Amino acid sequence: MKEFLSHLFTPRESNNHRAKILHHTNLFLTIIFLLLASFLIQGIKGAFPSVLGIKADVSSEELLSLTNKERRNAGVNPLIFNEKLSEAAIKKAQDMFEYDYWAHNSPSGKTPWVFIKSSGYKYVYAGENLARGFSTAEDVIKAWMTSSAGHRENMLSSNYQDVGFAVKIGKLNGEETVLVVEELGNLYMPIAKSRVQEIATATDANTLQKNVQAVRNQPLISTSALSSNIYYVFIIVFITALFLDMIIIEKNKIMRFVGHNIDHILYLLLILILAGVWSKGVII
Amino acid sequence: MLKRISEHAIYYIALLIILSLGFLLAYSSSDRSWQIGVIIAITFFYVLWGIMHHLINHDLHTKIVVEYILIGAFGLTIVFFLLSVNGNY
Repeated sequence: MKEFLSHLFTPRESNNHRAKILHHTNLFLTIIFLLLASFLIQGIKGAFPSVLGIKADVSSEELLSLTNKERRNAGVNPLIFNEKLSEAAIKKAQDMFEYDYWAHNSPSGKTPWVFIKSSGYKYVYAGENLARGFSTAEDVIKAWMTSSAGHRENMLSSNYQDVGFAVKIGKLNGEETVLVVEELGNLYMPIAKSRVQEIATATDANTLQKNVQAVRNQPLISTSALSSNIYYVFIIVFITALFLDMIIIEKNKIMRFVGHNIDHILYLLLILILAGVWSKGVII
Repeated sequence: MLKRISEHAIYYIALLIILSLGFLLAYSSSDRSWQIGVIIAITFFYVLWGIMHHLINHDLHTKIVVEYILIGAFGLTIVFFLLSVNGNY
């Protein structure tokens, strides 16, 4: 076993002084394996969603509570749950699933304001945040708060007084996902800060929701955890093999015609960081 | 190893700059199509830069070109694997 692992991960005579896992054939087979694994996981996910599926625990109550926590920390008035905005968010989520799009405007040109107006909310100010693929409300709020594309501004804007959420599970681009829609609005022109704070204190308790939107999915195996584990194992194994290969060859001063391991390590480290961040979900 | 890195310092600094710029470009946007476009562009530059470095050093060989292409393909495959399985495209 030790011999086999050495042959696989360290450069020596038996593998022509290049870790066997880094040989072209093995790299090619790894790529093929990942592609096949991707198809297999998606096939099982579609056929047995209770065994292998999306693990999610997101509710509008948590989203509201976390949003208001962030607003309080920033010294902004907390938002009040609004039934009409919630209805608009639900309509928007249904429209996205029905017409299979992931955007603020629908392919037919319908803007978020169409849904807000049609729910009877006559706004002066309105905004929308979207998120998909996150498994907890904390991750959704964290992604919006760290975004530089206007989500954070929406979350903390004193122009808004009301909020409504939709949390739905469905298929977008053929992939099952958890979709979160946040519609923000204000029926009036924003007022002076001191007055806002008075109102906020008075209405802070008025955040109870009649129709709580929630997705609580607990499959036997989470696709997110499974894919992340496979991903981390593969990429870390390759980075380690490249590092060991580089150190041992340098130490033994062996000449060979191969690429620079340090290039590969830098590139794979970038992939490791980026894909790790992106795998949590996506916002627009 | 440190000697080799210092001999090729300009090359490695340039590679680090390309990768860091790519990271910033990809991280700065929440648009998935943009992010995927950036990662494909980074991979393309990484392969090209690696080949150019070997060409300048006069030690370029077909199997080195194949190695850079395979590592680039592995990087892209693992990103697509993670995003497609998670439904985060």
